[in-house]
Amino acid sequence: MGFSGKQLMGVGIFLFVIFIGVPLIIAATGRWDFYYTLTSVALLAIASAGVWLTFYIGRINIGQGAFALIGAYVSAILVVKAGWSFWISLPAAGLFAALVAILIGLPILRLRGVYFAMITLVLTQVATLTALALPITNGAKGISSIPLPSGVSIFGIPLIPDFSSMENTKLAFYITACILMIVTYAALYRLVNSRLGHLCRSMQQNEELASSIGVNISYIRIVIFAISSFFGGIGGAMFGSIAQSVYPSSFQVADSVNFMLNCFLGGLGYVFGPMLGTLVLYFGWDLLFEFGKYQMLIYSTILILLIRFLPNGLLSLSIGKGDKK
Amino acid sequence: MEQILANGVYLGSQYAMIALGLTLIFALMNVLNFAHGQMYVIGGFVTYTFYGQWGVPFVLALVMSCVTLAILGALIERYLFAPVIKGSAREESTMLLAAGIAFFLDAVILLVFGEKQRGVPKIIDGVFNYDFKLIMPYDRILICFLAILSIVAFIGLMQYTKTGRALRALAQDRTAAQLMGVNVDRYSMIGFALGAMLAGLVGGLLVTITGVNLGMGGPTSIKAFMMVMIGGAGVISGAIWGGIILGFMEAIGLALLYQYGDITYLLIFVSLMIFLAIRPQGLMGKPWG
Amino acid sequence: MKRRSLMKSALTAVAFTSLMASTALAENTVLKIGFVGVTSGPAASWGISNQRSMEARAAWINETGGYKIGDVTYDIEIVSFDDQKDPKRAIAGMEKMAQEGIHYVVGPNVDDGAAAVRPVAESNGIMYFPYAFPKSLYEAPASNAVLGMVANYQSGPAIYKYLMAEKGVKTVAFVAANESDPLSQRTGGIEAATALGMEVVSDNVTYQVDTTDFTPVLTPVMRAQPDLLVLSGVSPANAPQLIRSARELGFQGVISTETAQDAGVLAEGAGDLANGFISVGGASTPELSSPMMVEFVERYTKMFGEYNDESNTKVYALEYILETLKADPSAITDVDAFKTTMDTFEAPNPYMNGDAKLRYVGMSSFGQRRQVSVPLVVNVYQNGAFETLFVAEVD
Repeated sequence: MGFSGKQLMGVGIFLFVIFIGVPLIIAATGRWDFYYTLTSVALLAIASAGVWLTFYIGRINIGQGAFALIGAYVSAILVVKAGWSFWISLPAAGLFAALVAILIGLPILRLRGVYFAMITLVLTQVATLTALALPITNGAKGISSIPLPSGVSIFGIPLIPDFSSMENTKLAFYITACILMIVTYAALYRLVNSRLGHLCRSMQQNEELASSIGVNISYIRIVIFAISSFFGGIGGAMFGSIAQSVYPSSFQVADSVNFMLNCFLGGLGYVFGPMLGTLVLYFGWDLLFEFGKYQMLIYSTILILLIRFLPNGLLSLSIGKGDKK
Repeated sequence: MEQILANGVYLGSQYAMIALGLTLIFALMNVLNFAHGQMYVIGGFVTYTFYGQWGVPFVLALVMSCVTLAILGALIERYLFAPVIKGSAREESTMLLAAGIAFFLDAVILLVFGEKQRGVPKIIDGVFNYDFKLIMPYDRILICFLAILSIVAFIGLMQYTKTGRALRALAQDRTAAQLMGVNVDRYSMIGFALGAMLAGLVGGLLVTITGVNLGMGGPTSIKAFMMVMIGGAGVISGAIWGGIILGFMEAIGLALLYQYGDITYLLIFVSLMIFLAIRPQGLMGKPWG
Repeated sequence: MKRRSLMKSALTAVAFTSLMASTALAENTVLKIGFVGVTSGPAASWGISNQRSMEARAAWINETGGYKIGDVTYDIEIVSFDDQKDPKRAIAGMEKMAQEGIHYVVGPNVDDGAAAVRPVAESNGIMYFPYAFPKSLYEAPASNAVLGMVANYQSGPAIYKYLMAEKGVKTVAFVAANESDPLSQRTGGIEAATALGMEVVSDNVTYQVDTTDFTPVLTPVMRAQPDLLVLSGVSPANAPQLIRSARELGFQGVISTETAQDAGVLAEGAGDLANGFISVGGASTPELSSPMMVEFVERYTKMFGEYNDESNTKVYALEYILETLKADPSAITDVDAFKTTMDTFEAPNPYMNGDAKLRYVGMSSFGQRRQVSVPLVVNVYQNGAFETLFVAEVD
C-alpha cells in the first residue's frame, strides 16, 4: 500500500492538530470544557466507524448503541467486580461485544435493507432491557463509583500513568480517546483497502453476484459485523470509565440512531466520513448551547438544510465526484 | 380471557392505523419516515387545541388534524424528500432527512404546545362492564370502532378509486407506473400527504383516551416500525396484521407474563427478533423490501 | 419559506433577549447559577419546571434590586443546559458549568445523569442538587451532591403509615415504569411497606415508558385487589392514564405516588377519576403557602403563561443555594466553606406559613447533611386542585 506525499502530509497535519494544536488552542482560549466535548466526539466517532463498516457491506446498522452498552458493562463489571485493570478490560469489552455480534449476527445478518435496520433497532432496546433485568449488571441501580483507570508499567517503566493521581484527567482522557480513534480509523482505512475491503464492495453492489464468483459472503458478513461491534464496545467502555458509572440508559435507541446519522452526514462513500459527521453533529449541538430553548430548532433546521443540499454527505462537497471507495 | 381479547382488539386497531401511514410512505418512496410519530403527536395536539381548548366539535377537530397533517406531509414531500431522493447516491440518505425532520418537529411541538401532558374531556362517559370479566370504557369502544372504520375506508380508497389505483401502481413499480402515464411526482406527494394524514387522524382519535405529550413521537415511530416489520414492509395488509399481532402480543404478554414483570417486553422483543430471523420478510412482505 | 422566517424570528428573539438580559444586568455584579437537566423529550416537564422556577425566581430577585450576599449585591443569572436525559450530555453540561465558573448547579433530574456528573463536579469544585434518589450520591465519600427534594424512601413510609392509620390500608401493590429511577423507587417502596407490616400483593408489574394504554398493564394488578396502589416514580405524563385505567377497571382503593405532580395535567387527563390521588408536593396548597409563594406562582404564571405544580418542590434548591451563600459569603467561590456552613445553616422558610426552617438534613439517611429540608407536604387531588393531607419533616 503506497501513500502519496499529499496523503502523508494530510495525516501529519491531522495528528499535529489533534495532539498539539487543540491543546494549545484550549490553553490559549481557556475553553477547558472543549476537552470533554472533543473526547466524546472521538469516542462516538469510534463507534460510528463500526456503523460505517456495516454500511460497507450494505447493511443499515441502528444497533451500535447495544454494543456500546455491552462494552461499557463488560468493562465496568471486570473493573469493579473482578478487579481487573481498566486497560485489560478495554479490549475485553471490545472482544465480548464482538462475540455477541457473532452470535446475533449468524441469524440476523441474512436480513437486508430496512429489515436489518429494524432488527438492529430492536436489538438496542433488548440490550437496555437485559441490563435492567440481569443481576450481574445491578439492574436498575446501574454500576456507579467505578475507579479511574490505574497506571500500567512494564519492568518498572511507567507506560500509562495512574489516572486517579492526576490533577487533570480531562487531557489524559482526551489523548487516550484520540489515540484510540486514530488506531480505529487507521485500521478501518487498512481494511477498506485490503482484499477484504474489495470483497465487501462487491457485496455492497450485489450479494448474489459476489456469492456466485466464489466469495464466502456469510463469513465476511460475520467478520465485518464483529469488527464493527468491537469498535462499539471499545467506545462504550471508554465512556463508562469517564462517567465512572454505567446505567441501562447509558446508551439508548437515540444513541444508535445518532451513530447512524453521523455516518450519513459525513458521507457513506468516505472512510473519514463518520469522523467528520460525529464532529459536526455533536460539536454543533454543543456550540448552539447559547441559543437556549431554540437550540433544538436551530440544530434540526441546519441538519435538514445540510441534507437537503448535500444529500451525499459533507465530504461530497470537497471531494466531489468519483473517488467512491 | 375476554378481557385479553378485547384489549388486543383495541390495541391492535390503533396500532394498525399508526402502521398504515408509515407503510404507505415506505411503499411509495422507500422512505423510512422517522418523523411519523411526531406527525401523530401533532395530530393529537391539533385536536387537543380545537376540541379541548376552543370547544370545537370533536369531529371537526379531527378533520382539522387531518387537514393540517396532509398539508404538512405534502410540503415535506414536495420540498424536502423529493429533491433529496433525486440528488442522493444512496436512497438510505433519506433516513438522515427523516430524522432531521423528527428533531425539527419535536422542537416545534415543544415551543408551540409546551412540555406538559395534555388531555381532552371524555367524549362519552361510562364503562361497559360485563360481570368484571370484560371491562371496556365506552369511549374506547367508540375509538376502536372509528379506527376500524378508518382502516376499512382507507382500504376502500386504495382499492376502488383512481388515486388508490395510481398509488398502488406506484408502490409496485415506479418506472412502470410512470410509463403507464401516472404522474409520479404528483402521486408521491398525494401518497405522502395521505400517510401523514393517517398519522394525524389516529393522533386526534387517541388524544381522547391517552392524551398527548411531546415525548410520544419517537417511541410511537419505533413501535410503528416494529409492526411494519412483523407484517412486511411496504404492504398495506401487512401493516394491519402487524398492528393486530403486536397489539395481541402486548395484551397476551402482559396478561400471562406479568409475574415476571421486568422481562415481559424483553420477551416480546426477543421473540420478534427470532420471528424476523426465521422469516426475514415479515408475514407478507416482498423479500428484501 | 416558512421555516426560514421562523428561524429568522427565532434568531432575532434570541438576540433581543440576550441584549435585554445584558442591559438589565449591567448594574450589579452577576452571580451565575447553573441548571443541568432534561428540558426536551418525554421527561421534559421535570427539567422545564425546574428551569422555569429558577428563572422566575431570578427575574424576581433582579427586578427588586438584586440579592445581597456579604457586601455585594448580585444579580442572579441562570445558565441552563439541556442534557436530553442522556448521561453523556449531562457530563458535557457540567463541564460547561465549570467553564462558566459556576460552583452551584441544580440538577440533573435522573439517576444515571446524577451519577455520571459526579467526577466532573468533584474535580471542578461544583456543588450540585440532583433530583435523583440513589444513596451512593449523598453518602461519604461523595460529598458534592445535595438531594434537592424528599426521597421516596423518606416520603413513602410517611404516606403508608398515614394510610394504615387513617384509611385502614393493609395490602399494597406497586407498579413502575421499566426504567432505572422508577424501578429503584419501587424497591425502596416495597422495603418501606414491608417494614411497616403491610402485605405487598403485587410488586412485579412494569410498563414501558412509552406505554399509552395501561389497561392491559393494570388488569393483573387489579386481580390482586390491593387496598393501595402505588405508582412508583411515575412521570406526570403517565400518572393520569394510569389513574384513569385503574378506576375504569373498577379499582376502589387508594392510589398514591411519591413524586410531584401537576393538578392541571391530572384534571385534563383523568378528570374526576383522579379525586383522592395522593402525591408529594411543595407548599402551594392554600393553607400552607406564604404570601411569597403566592407571589412566586403569580410571577411564574405571568412569565411562562402557565404554572406547573411540580415547581412547588423545585423552587427550593435555588433559595437554599442563595441563603447558604448569604450565611457565608466566602462560599461563593469556595465550596468547602459551603460544605462547612451546611452543617449549621438555618434560615426561615419564606415559602411556607408558620415557622418552618430551611436547613440541611439527611443524617439518618446518608450519614451527612446532604439533603435540603423541604417540607414533606402530602397532597391529595380533589376536583382540579391539590389539598394538603398532612405535613411531615425529614431528618
